Formats: sequence, structure tokens, C-alpha cells
Amino acid sequence: MEHLLETIGRNMFAIFGVMALGSAAFMVASRSAVHSVLGFLFAMLCIAGCFLSLEAEFLGMAQILVYAGGIVVLFLFVVMLVEMSKKKEKEVFQAQSRYAVVAVLFGAAAFMGVFRKVIFGTASVEALVLRPELAQGLNVAKQNAQAVSRGLFADYLLPFEILSVILLVALVGAVVLAKTERV
Amino acid sequence: MVSLNAVLLVSFGLFSIGIAGVLIRRNALIILMCVELMLNAANLNFIAFARHSGSVSGQAFALLVMGFAAAEVAVGLALVVALYRKRDTVQVDDINLLKG
Repeated sequence: MEHLLETIGRNMFAIFGVMALGSAAFMVASRSAVHSVLGFLFAMLCIAGCFLSLEAEFLGMAQILVYAGGIVVLFLFVVMLVEMSKKKEKEVFQAQSRYAVVAVLFGAAAFMGVFRKVIFGTASVEALVLRPELAQGLNVAKQNAQAVSRGLFADYLLPFEILSVILLVALVGAVVLAKTERV
Repeated sequence: MVSLNAVLLVSFGLFSIGIAGVLIRRNALIILMCVELMLNAANLNFIAFARHSGSVSGQAFALLVMGFAAAEVAVGLALVVALYRKRDTVQVDDINLLKG
């Protein structure tokens, strides 16, 4: 029993990764839009699990909050708003799906051919340790959130501020686009 | 310890599924979800390489990408709703005004 638990703990990333791939495939293949949203939700939760097993705890939690908490609910609302129309869709997939799938598979094979040595090489991921010149005397790498905030507010402050402006623009733009004409 | 290759393979698979979904689905909502999936695959790569190189820049950028994705979803869903009001459909095949 303990041996089994230990094996599961060691392969946590592989388990979450396979589940994420499966639910993403379910999302693309399912006929009902609500089922697609549920597959999307499960894929996002599995990717959050991948983040956690890569020791990016802050990002895993942010993923759960932003995606499972916000974006999936937004998608569900719009599906309810839009999909309840009288005329049902006859075809789910595009007419030329077959060629598209062949093209994607061909691209995947080409990618594998080019990056074969990188992907099947022997490099492994080490735990996140800040380089000394980044840590600068502060003992920041003990906590993942501290380390991320150090990167966000010291090294990448300008992109962070630009992101806040973009979020504001997106907010106003979404309101303008979605409001009714009569006001 | 997770190997970098496993992370790269998972993110490669997620990106491929996302791009296939964008190409084959007709529903604009599901196309938006597939774009989100591709952004998440990129995030996974960011985090893997951040751990590989021992700096937090990748994680900080993954957080920024998450914010951009949220903005993109807000605008995209507003566009879908506006389109539904105007044309009464969300199937991308029926929206062919520019086809000529």
C-alpha cells in the first residue's frame, strides 16, 4: 500500500498530464457544448495539478481561481445564453475536418522529427532555486509566492503594469461590445 | 523528479489538440476554448523551463499570460454575444459576410 502511494506520488505529473490530454480530447470531440465546457473545466483542473506537481504552487492556485472559478463560469453563461436557440446545429465538425486532422498530424510528426533530440534527450528538471544574484541577500526562494512576486514586481514591473492597462481596456471593450443598442 | 521531456510532451499534445480543435470545430465558443487550451500549453512550457533554468522569470511570465488570457476571453465572449444578437448564430460557417 505504501509502495503504491509512493509510486503515485512520484508519477503525479504523468497522471495529471494524461488526464489533461484525455479531457482536452473529450472537449474537442463532444457534440454538446455544455459537455465541451465540462471537459474544458476538467482539463484546466488537471493542468493546475501539473503546475502543483512542478512545484509552482502559486500558479497552480491562480490557475484554479482564474480558470475554474472565472472563465469556465463565463463560458457556461454564454453557452446557456447562445445555445438555447430553436434551430439545432446539424453538423458539429467542419466539412474539411479530415484534411485538417491530417495537416495537424503531419505538423506534429515534423515537429517530432526536428526536436526529437530535445524531447527524448536526457535533460531533467531540477527544483526551483533562485540564482544568488537574483535572490540578493533576501531569503526569497523558500516560498514559491515570494519568488514569483520578486520576479513580478522587481524584474518585470513594466509588463505587469501594462497588463493592468490591457485588462482595463478589455473590460471597457467587453461592456461596449455586449451592451444592447437602445441603452 | 519530473523530467523536462515529459512536460514538453504533455504541452505539445495539449497544443496539438487545441490547434486541431480550432481547425475542425464550427462552434465559435469551442474555438475560443481551444485557444485557451493552447495558451495553457504555452504556460506549462514556461513553468518547465523556469524550473530547468533556476529562475522565476518563467513563472512570472506564466502569470502575465494568464492575465492576458482572461482579457482575451472577456472580449471574445462579448464578440460572440454581439454576433449572436446580430446574426442569430454562433456557427463560424454561417458568418461569411466577407466571402465575396
